[in-house]
Amino acid sequence: MHEEALLRDLRSQLVMLAAREHASRISRAEIWVGALSHVQEAQLRSAWPRLVAGTPAVGAVLDVRTSAAADDPQAQAVILRSISVEGP
Amino acid sequence: MTERTIAVDYVARVEGEGALRVRIEGGRAQEVELRIFEPPRFFEAMLRGRDYAEAPDITARICGICPVAYQMSACHALERALGIRVDGPLRALRRLLYCGEWIESHALHIYLLHAPDFLGYPDAVRLAKDRPKVVADGLALKKAGNALMQLLGGREVHPINVRVGGFYRVPSRDELAARIPELEEAFALAESTARFAASLPFPDVTEEYEFVALRHPDEYPMNEGDLVSSRGLRIPQERFDEEFEEVQVPYSHALQARRRGGGSYLVGPMARYSLNHDRLPPRTRSLAEEVGLEATVVNPHRSILVRAIEVAFACEEALRIIRGYSVPPTPFVAPPASIPEARGAAVTEAPRGILYHRYEIAAGGLLRDAKIVPPTSQNQARIEVDLRHLIDADLARPDAELVSACERAIRNHDPCISCATHFLRLEVDRG
Repeated sequence: MHEEALLRDLRSQLVMLAAREHASRISRAEIWVGALSHVQEAQLRSAWPRLVAGTPAVGAVLDVRTSAAADDPQAQAVILRSISVEGP
Repeated sequence: MTERTIAVDYVARVEGEGALRVRIEGGRAQEVELRIFEPPRFFEAMLRGRDYAEAPDITARICGICPVAYQMSACHALERALGIRVDGPLRALRRLLYCGEWIESHALHIYLLHAPDFLGYPDAVRLAKDRPKVVADGLALKKAGNALMQLLGGREVHPINVRVGGFYRVPSRDELAARIPELEEAFALAESTARFAASLPFPDVTEEYEFVALRHPDEYPMNEGDLVSSRGLRIPQERFDEEFEEVQVPYSHALQARRRGGGSYLVGPMARYSLNHDRLPPRTRSLAEEVGLEATVVNPHRSILVRAIEVAFACEEALRIIRGYSVPPTPFVAPPASIPEARGAAVTEAPRGILYHRYEIAAGGLLRDAKIVPPTSQNQARIEVDLRHLIDADLARPDAELVSACERAIRNHDPCISCATHFLRLEVDRG
C-alpha cells in the first residue's frame, strides 16, 4: 500500500504536468528509485500500465534508474526526474 | 509534432491515507465507512523474538508525536510481568516525561490543526499570516513540552533514555529547576490558550458517548489507575482484553476496537476529563471553572478546550514534580537476574487516550507475543458514529462542504491520521 500511494501521487503529477505543458501525450518518464524507498523496479514496471491508464502517459517509455546508495540524502525517495512530452 | 524533455525532480509523497464512503438512502446515511489505507506496520510481529528490554525503544517508533506513551505502556506491562516496582522519584520522573509529551502533543493539535477549523482557515500556515501570535503561542507551548522530553528522554522525538525499571540517566535537581521559569511561562500561556479556546464559536452538537479512561485514587491519570467507563465499568487494567476486543472491518486496514458484546466507545481528553475532572489540581481546576468548562463534555467540538485545560494541568503537574524532586539512589530498578516465563499488560494515558500493551516473555527474556491497542483504533468506530450524525443533519449540503465538515468532525478527536489537512476523499452514494 505504501508503494501504491507513492505511485498514485506520481500519476497525479504526470496528469498535472501534461496539462501544464499543454502536451498531447507524455512519451517518456524517467523515475529515480532510492535504495531505501521500499519500491522495486520490477514492481514499478508491473504497475506502470495500470498507473498511466487513462492519462496522457499511456504508452510512455518508462526509464527507471535504481540507486544502490543507502547513504544518499534522497535514499528514501522516489523521484520523477524528467518527462518527454509531445505537443505544441 | 515536437518533443520536449522537461526536468521535473518531483519527490513522490504519501499523504494521509483516508477516505469516507457514505451511502444515503431514504434521507438518512445508511452506511458510513471511514477507510484507512495506511499500510499495516507489523510492530507486534516485529517484537516477537526480540529481547523484552528492546520493547520500549521499538514501540516508541510507532508514533513521532507520542513516543513516550508507547514507552510508558511497554515499561509498565513488562514491569508487571517481571514483578518490578517503580516508585518514588523514578515514578515522578516518568510522570514528568509524560507531562512533556501531553504539552507538546496537545499544543500541536490545538494551534496547528484544530484552531484553523474554528477561525475559518484551511491550515495553520495561512492562519499564521493573519494572526501570527496565535501560532507563535502554540509553538512556544510546544517548545516547553519538547524541552522536558529532551531533558528526560535524551531527545525530543523518539526518546532514548527510557528503560524497563526507570531511566538510563536521571537529571540533577539543578537541571530540573532550570526548567521552572519556562514552565511558569507555559502555564500562563496555557491559561491564555484556554481563554482563547473558550472564545471560539462552537457548533451546537451533543453526542452520547461511552467514555473510557483510567482513574487513579488521587491523581489526574497518566500511568496508573483502574479502567473506568461512564456506563459503570470499573476493572483493573490487566483485564482490558476481557472487556474490549479489536475487530477487522472489510473496508479498512486499521483495526477497530469495541466493548465486547457492546458497541463503540470514546477515549482521549474528553473521556479523561469527564471521568476525572475532580482530580485536577487547584490552579487548573480554577481555570476550568473560569472558562466555563462543563463537568461532562458531550460536544466533540469543545475537545479543543479540554486539551487546553490538560495542557495547563501538565504544566502545573510538571512544576509540582520538579519542586518536590530528589535524585533517586539509582536511575533504574534492576530486573531479576534470571528472566522467568512471564506475562504482563498495562494501560497508560497517551495524549489521545488509553494505550494498551500486553506481552508474553519466554524464559530467558525473548518476547513470545505482543499486543498493542492504540487510542486511534479505539476511537475509530465512535468517529464513524459522529460522522453518521453529522451527515444525517447536513444531507442537503454540497459534497465539498460535507467533506470539510467531516474533516472537522474527525479532527475533533485528534486521530493520528489528522495531520494531513486535506486527507479525506469523500464518496457519496445518494441512491
